[in-house]
Parts: sequence; structure tokens; C-alpha cells
Amino acid sequence: MSTKKKRAPHLNNDSWVVVAADSAIDTQKPDNDPTFVRLRNPSTDAASLYMLSAGDAQLFEVKAFDEEFHSWFVGQTVQRDGRLLFVTPMDPLYLILPYLIKSGKEGKFQPVDQVLMDEDFPACSRLLSCTRSLSSLRHVAEEKEVANMKFHRYSEEKTMVWLEKKVERTVTALKKRNIYVGEGVKSTTYVRVKSESDHQQEDYLRYAHGLISEYISEDLSKALLRHLQLPELTSPKEAEPPSKKRKLSDKPVEAGEDYTKFNSADFARKPAKKMSAAQKSLAKVDKTGMKTMSSFFSPKVKTEKK
Amino acid sequence: MDLGSFQTNSSVSCRLASQIPDVCRTEDCCLGIDEAGRGPVLGPMVYGICFCPISMKEELKALKVADSKTLTEAERENLFEKVDGASSYVGWALQVLSPNTISTSMLQRTKYNLNALSHDTAIGLVQYALDNGVQLKEIFVDTVGPADKYEDKLSKLFPGIDVTVRPKADSLFPVVSAASICAKVARDRIVKGWNFSEDLGDVNPEYGSGYPGDPKTKAWLLKYLDPVFGFPQFVRFSWSTAQTLLDSKGVTVHWDDDEEDGEKAAQRQNNKSMLSYFSAPAGGNNQNPTHQTHRFFTERRLKSLDTL
Repeated sequence: MSTKKKRAPHLNNDSWVVVAADSAIDTQKPDNDPTFVRLRNPSTDAASLYMLSAGDAQLFEVKAFDEEFHSWFVGQTVQRDGRLLFVTPMDPLYLILPYLIKSGKEGKFQPVDQVLMDEDFPACSRLLSCTRSLSSLRHVAEEKEVANMKFHRYSEEKTMVWLEKKVERTVTALKKRNIYVGEGVKSTTYVRVKSESDHQQEDYLRYAHGLISEYISEDLSKALLRHLQLPELTSPKEAEPPSKKRKLSDKPVEAGEDYTKFNSADFARKPAKKMSAAQKSLAKVDKTGMKTMSSFFSPKVKTEKK
Repeated sequence: MDLGSFQTNSSVSCRLASQIPDVCRTEDCCLGIDEAGRGPVLGPMVYGICFCPISMKEELKALKVADSKTLTEAERENLFEKVDGASSYVGWALQVLSPNTISTSMLQRTKYNLNALSHDTAIGLVQYALDNGVQLKEIFVDTVGPADKYEDKLSKLFPGIDVTVRPKADSLFPVVSAASICAKVARDRIVKGWNFSEDLGDVNPEYGSGYPGDPKTKAWLLKYLDPVFGFPQFVRFSWSTAQTLLDSKGVTVHWDDDEEDGEKAAQRQNNKSMLSYFSAPAGGNNQNPTHQTHRFFTERRLKSLDTL
């Protein structure tokens, strides 16, 4: 049987299977095509792929459905890359926000076209051409107008109010689409007898917060969590393993053994037991470079390489 | 023998049968089971049963049905006409397992091997006879796999019927010989008149015996190998001959139940190899270890891209 097939890495290919809104690919002017651009992802701070529609009027994010062992049959050809790309509308304010926050640390009102500059991602200035961008700046920044020039300064207070609205809208959308937000895993084929309307509002809020956090920095995500008055969750991974079960009782705790005897002068260590011949020969084995058995089970060794 | 229904759709399993003779419904009957086309990489495998009243055994012998392998094609055709002509006391039924059925059974996620497929087909045919009121008392079978195990299995399934499983049964019992002739004739006719559902133009009919060892068969397979799709449905993909050719000449295809080397598979599935616990911990070089994509996206296998 063919057990040793080598899986070559995906090579760059020049076609993709994309699902996009009509508004994304609509081109009235032939010389003004929608373009894929690399911009700074506000959540990861690394490059991510986005799309700007014709004339940079609208921003779209690009996500890929990517699961192993998929390929496409397209017309009379086979495409090895089985991904399905989604081009979905996105609020450009999310991408503008990190730049505003950065310049906001200087505390000055600044013209926004001076704020939106990035050596690594020069395309970021194009975000300002989006129809929503300039009008929505007031949600996250204070405005001043001097001699027909507009100046902006980041406001965390306003941003929190704006993000809270986003969370609320997300909650509405989650409920409308019956998206499971509870803890634990749910199979899509598993039909619950009880309706899920009894889910706590907090589950929805936390889920929506998690979704919005995909579009904002970690600091902002934490601030938003406080703003929403959701307690921070400590993941069970980080938490210490539960110690031995303690018996609950109202009685005062007493030591089960008298340890003070070890402190007394007349306490003498018992002489080591005599070892059998087999134990002796085992003890002579060269143990350099060997780990003790217990070290494999202690938490310190958890830092394995990834 | 009307092969029309199979020829219009040659990708399925199909049953052909004679009329049930009236005497078989009233008198105690014996039944023989045999198959044709177990080994070839090309074409269908055909299972056949033949049955007649026990009292008519001598008449069947008089037809001089013998092991199909010792006969020429013309002799077989001739004998089949005789068997079919004796419809007043002999009945037959066939199950044609298309090469596609064999391929998909053997290569499906929960493997269904050829022996199991053979046994189940034989059982299905016996059940067909019983369902049609044939008074079965004796069954004779040419063995597939260990004879005693097979005999045990059939005896348990059909209590009250005397089951005899024997290698070379087709040369020992006339009723098995008759079944073997029916099966062989059907297979020959099907292979000869194979309708290729693929658009291959004029297909070269020189594919030899269809057995993997035949150089003509191998040359034919090589000629009709498509790098993406492999072979036409006429070929049993599950045969190692076909698989070896696909591995060397075809495009590599990965399925999610492919067996992979343990270490690599674990890495791919993001499992930690047992070995990693024993090697020295290397400094984590993850770019952004704190960032975890929200489960909305991970559950839907959605990822951000940084390049196309």
C-alpha cells in the first residue's frame, strides 16, 4: 500500500476560488480594478491580506476556509489549493484605529493623513479614501476644525462606547443566526431538545467580545473587557492543577503527626537499609545524562519545543 | 440472459435470474454456488447460483456440465444454452459485481475486503432463492478462504440446510459446475460488450486476459492511465497492479485516511510527538504566542491570509 506518499508544500498558484460580494468586484471604470492589499492586522500587528474595491471606496477582509485534503475541480481543470476565499466587507476604522492610538500618545490634534503613515505598509493611506473612513472618525477621536482643516485626537472613552456598540450588534447577529456561544464543544449534528434561549447573556457578550477582539489590539481588548464589566477568565491551562482534595470539616485543623521530634537532639537518622546484590549493581550504573523518572511528570518540563 | 440493464449502468451491482421452475418450489432442492472473475484487474466479478430438485441431479449430470475452466468459450456458451434450456427443472441467478463496486468496497473508509464481499454476495443469492420459495436442502460451494470457517458461517445463517464447502467443488458437483458456467458466460459477455462510460474515443480492445500477470493487460492499463483520474471504471482500482501504476504515473492524491509516518502525521495534526517530551526544550520562536484566533474562526477553519 502507498503509505509513504510525500506531501509537497503548496506551491504558489495563480488562481483561487473566491466568494465575494458584488460590491467588491463591481468595476464601473475599466482602469480601476479592485486590488488585494497587505495591511497591518490590528490584532496580530503582522501583515494580513485585505481588498480595496474600485477607487478604494470600500474595504474588505480576506479569510480563507482552509482544511486539509481538499482540492477543486474548476471547469476542465484541477486546482490543488482547496481553499475557499471569502471577501467580506469590513469597517476601515478598525485598521485606522492603531495608527490613531499611536499618535494619540503624543496628545496632540493631528491631521489624519499625517497619522496614517506606515513604512511597512504604504497602502494604509488608501484607507482614508473609503467612503466610511472620514465620517466615522468621530466615533473614536475628538475633532477640531481650524481654517477648513480637520484635526483629530484619539479618545479611549469614545472608542469604548463605539466598541460596546459593536459588541451589542454582534450579540444581536449571533442570536439571529443561532450561533452556539456556550462553553464546550457542540456537534453540528447534535440536536438539542431544550432551546438555547436560556443561555446567559454573559456567554453572548463574552463570545462577541472575543470576535471583536480579532479586530483590535490586545490592550484594547482587555480594556473593552473591563468596560463591559466582564471578569477576566483565567484559562484552565495556566491555572495550577488542583491539589489533593481536602476534607471539609468544621473542626480545627490539627497536625496528624508530631514533627517536632525531628528537631530534638536525640533524633538520629536510621541507618540506610542494606541493599540486595541486584540493587547494588543497579546503583553502580553510570547515570550521567539520564533524567529521573519523576522529572517527566513534574510541571517544569512542560516547555517543550513547538 | 438479458444484460441490458447492466450495460446501461455498468457502475453498480446487478442481479440477473431465470424463471424459478415450479418443481423447485415443491420438491427438495440442491444449490451450487461459484464465481467467475475473482482475480482479474479488469471487468466485473460474477457470482452464480444454480439449483434443481435433488431427484434431478442425474439429469443435470447428463448435460455434461463440467468445470468451466476446462472448457473453451464456445463450449461454455453451448452448455449455458443447455442449462438455460432445461428451465423445467433448473434455475439460475447471477449477481454481477461491477469493477467499480469492487473498487469502492475495498477502498472505502471502513475496508470491505474481497472475501467478505464474496461471502455476502453468495449469501444474498441463497437468500434470493429462499425468498422465491425454492425448497433448499443442500448447498454446495466452491470455497473462498478457509473452507471450514465458511461452511460454519453458512450453516449458521441457513439452519436446516446441509452446507458443503469444498475447494474444487466446481469439478466435484454438477450443480456447482452449472453455476460456474452461468457465471463465466455472463462475465465473458459483459467484458466483451463493455460500454465505457468515459469518453475515451475508440478503445483498444486488446487488453488480454485481464489478469495482472498478462503483459497485454499491463500495457493496456498504462495506455489508459489518466494522471488525474486514473483508470476507466472498467479497472479495479483496489488491485495492487492498478495502485502501483497510479503511484508511479499518476498525480499523488492524499486522502484524510491515508496512513502516514507517525512523526509526520502527528506534526500535521498538531499533536506532540512522544519524542518531543524527551528532547531538550528549545527556545520558543513563535511570532506571537499570546494571540489565539477566536474559536468562531477556528471552528469554521477560517484563517487570515498574509499573501495569496
